[in-house]
Amino acid sequence: MIPGFLVFGPFTTASCCNCRLLVNHYPILYIGSIISFERKAMPSMKNKRFNLLLIAVVTIVALWSLWPTWRDYSLSKQLETIHSAPDSLKYALTHRDEIENARKKSLKLGLDLKGGMHLVMEVDQVDLFEQKAWNKDGKFTAIMNTVRAKAAQSDARVIDLIAAEFKNENIRLSRYFYDIRNTDKEIVAKLEKESVDALTRAKEIIRNRIDQYGVAEPVITTQGSRKIIIELPGVSDESRVRNLLKGTAKLEFRLLREPEVLLRTLDRINSYLVENNAVAPNAKAADSSVALPVTATQGKSSSAKPLYDVIGVYQNGMAFTTEHSKEYVVSLLHRSDIQALLPPDGELVLSAKPDVDKNGEKLYPIYLVRKTPELTGGVITEAKATFGSQGVQPEVLMTMNSEGTSKWARITGANIGKRIAIVLDGAVYSAPVVQSKIPGGNSVINGISSLEEAKDLEIVLKAGALPAPVRIVEERSVGPSLGADYIRAGMLSLSWAFCAVSVFMLVYYKKAGIAADIALVLNILIVLSVLAGFNASLSLPGIAGIVLTIGMAVDANVLIYERIREELAEGKSVATAVTQGYERAFSSIFDSHVTTLSAAFLLYTYGIGPIQGFAVTLMIGTSASLFTAIVVTREIFQGLLAKKLLTDKSFG
Amino acid sequence: MRIFHKTNFNFIRYRKIAYGFSLILLFAGLVSLAVKGLNYGIDFRGGSEVVIRFEKNVDVSTVRAVLQEAGVSGTLKQYGMDRSFLLSTVFKGDTGALKTLVSNALTSRIAGNHHEIVRIDAVGPSIASDLKWSAVKALLGSLLAILLYVGFRFEIKFATAGVIAIFHDILTVLGLFSILGGLFDFMPLEMDQSIIAAFLTIAGYSITDTVVVYDRIRERIRGQKPSEYERIFNESMNQTLSRTIITSGTVLLSVFVLFIFAGPAIRGFAFAVFTGILIGTYSSIFVAAPLVYDWLRLSKSTVRLRGSKSV
Repeated sequence: MIPGFLVFGPFTTASCCNCRLLVNHYPILYIGSIISFERKAMPSMKNKRFNLLLIAVVTIVALWSLWPTWRDYSLSKQLETIHSAPDSLKYALTHRDEIENARKKSLKLGLDLKGGMHLVMEVDQVDLFEQKAWNKDGKFTAIMNTVRAKAAQSDARVIDLIAAEFKNENIRLSRYFYDIRNTDKEIVAKLEKESVDALTRAKEIIRNRIDQYGVAEPVITTQGSRKIIIELPGVSDESRVRNLLKGTAKLEFRLLREPEVLLRTLDRINSYLVENNAVAPNAKAADSSVALPVTATQGKSSSAKPLYDVIGVYQNGMAFTTEHSKEYVVSLLHRSDIQALLPPDGELVLSAKPDVDKNGEKLYPIYLVRKTPELTGGVITEAKATFGSQGVQPEVLMTMNSEGTSKWARITGANIGKRIAIVLDGAVYSAPVVQSKIPGGNSVINGISSLEEAKDLEIVLKAGALPAPVRIVEERSVGPSLGADYIRAGMLSLSWAFCAVSVFMLVYYKKAGIAADIALVLNILIVLSVLAGFNASLSLPGIAGIVLTIGMAVDANVLIYERIREELAEGKSVATAVTQGYERAFSSIFDSHVTTLSAAFLLYTYGIGPIQGFAVTLMIGTSASLFTAIVVTREIFQGLLAKKLLTDKSFG
Repeated sequence: MRIFHKTNFNFIRYRKIAYGFSLILLFAGLVSLAVKGLNYGIDFRGGSEVVIRFEKNVDVSTVRAVLQEAGVSGTLKQYGMDRSFLLSTVFKGDTGALKTLVSNALTSRIAGNHHEIVRIDAVGPSIASDLKWSAVKALLGSLLAILLYVGFRFEIKFATAGVIAIFHDILTVLGLFSILGGLFDFMPLEMDQSIIAAFLTIAGYSITDTVVVYDRIRERIRGQKPSEYERIFNESMNQTLSRTIITSGTVLLSVFVLFIFAGPAIRGFAFAVFTGILIGTYSSIFVAAPLVYDWLRLSKSTVRLRGSKSV
């Protein structure tokens, strides 16, 4: 046999559960015991004593490791019984250390049982690499767009996709990236490093945001080259968390272009659209919902002025679009042929928040801003959500570092009377007119609808900007009430499965069944204690794994007992039958455990989240059953034999 | 208590009937897979799922009409829990908007019957393809590991037959999923990650029963002439029949408990494992061992087995 094989079950569990406590050495220990037991037909006295000691140690360690869980449970039960608030607070305060300690070391419940959010976010590497490039031209944009489309469909590395695409086009990467003398290979290596850095940075920034928002025990890890996995137990306001996480928090101060330039640009886009016979898809919606003033066509044929069907212009030179047309306008502005019509250093940006006109219609102002920001959010050192001067409008006050302060003073001083837009994640929050030079490095974001939103802005501004946009690619959230249901269902399954299997063993194998049932109890204890000891959490699939383990753990006993029955039928004495039964059943038990373990191990390696929980409990349970079902029951029989309490009737 | 005490079935003689039965089972499954296909869950297809639970009973068509009116695309079905519905729709980056839309529509149109959105799952297409590949890798990996291990412990003929039996079991369950998929409201039988976990569990467990039979054959076949093989195979299978069935029985018992009590999230998994173990038990007696027998008979060589030491 190959003892080394067995170690990987418990061992890998240890290394992947992020173990902080190293309490469970026994999985490795008991293998030694099994091997020795296979070699010797009759265990020597010394060996026997060792096994007894081992059983005692394992039981004690298991109970010790589960003790905090029990304390945690009984303490919270106790708290529930105290009805008056002051009394319960007093109790909580006097037992504070004990409660905290128990909670910290108790068996953790998974997100599905406790309620919470599991998010997978992906860093937009295409965007990241685009930022790193220079000399960008139409060709480059075209290639990157192809890459973007391909990256969305496959899980191949973005950097490989880029390299392949450039090779196809027969363009060297050095034309756009880093130094002209670099080979493609060097550039790929550099970009790869950039992407690893970006992922780590993004993870830290997201951790910052979550810490400031305040979530107990968040788990944030990275997976592969572009994914961040975020587990947030007990989060109740999911949409707020989602908003907090997905923004890049890229803050820019950009000068507005003159209104005439904006109008000329819009005219140019309109005539271009006329030439190309473009029809705005939701022009109808825009027409019927709001009467566009001045230049807008009054419900005439929509192809005459396609742009002005979706964009309205005020007399003062401000442009806007309606809520209905917003999506179309945004997609229009992203088109590369439309972007070519903009002035060289210009970009059209929508407002983050709509203005509401007297008919209650939501109108989004459109701004033409300079592409190069005057100043970026990197200079912001402090942000504070507060109410504005009128005391009703929430706003965020920002303070800059010394470098930012002097730059900001110069910029504001040079542009008095002009407007500077405050752009966050590609949307304009406000575009105030500069009244005077601002020497103190202060600025304000207003145009925020609620204090909550202002607070979230404060958090993201403080945490800093993400190196590249991230987006949510997977989300699983479970409400606390469903979690409670899951716990109830899980416990019900556990107890019924245990009852059914243990009663079956008793009925079918009589006295020997008792031994198997004791072993089964110990097995469940071991699984739970390993989870608690290694700080792993128990999820619904995890409970399913334990339930399955209950059915599988007694298999070893069945194989042994059936063999003992056979030996007894051949007329052997009880002592000999027991010894030979264990010995001869061992090879099938071992083989079947190895196959189950290897399947569970692969499941652990390739599965994610919930499925890993199942694989882990199955692995622990199966390995533990080698110990409980073989060593423990055997010691029980040896004890019974010594006291002459075991007869050939004891095996049913 | 004893079930199957001292049986004397002639498994080897009737093996061709079993082969026929298995082939029909597999064929039916494959036809259904080709014609009807599988019902993929959002893990593999991508999309969003929202579970809504109401305080009082409400008709599925009422909820459906309200959601349709509110402009929520997608399908609404009764979910496996009381007063609960499952809305499946396409994946959008922001499930918050979806949640608000659903919640507002239900609050205003089905007033007086409080609802709660108890679960939201959203899986993007790139994740879905990741998950699909991981599933394939895990399955193939475990089959290879089992093939190598059993080959190392017994012999390659035994290992191959064992893996064929696993294929047989998984394909049959897959076929059942295709045939029965979408027929029952309480058990939609969608292919998702948990079903892959079920397949791996089946693979690991199917070989367990097979190994028990193999082990006995190995113990008895040593030094015997090929002409004795039929008798030895039959006797070994009869001698291990009781333990094969009881070991599977205890597992079936606990999986059945899961199916009944563990709720809709686990039901598909429990169904897959239950049928898988049932078929796995059948296949270790009627497929794996007979295949080894036929192979040995056709190759006309005496078997050399590793690892058997005692007796």
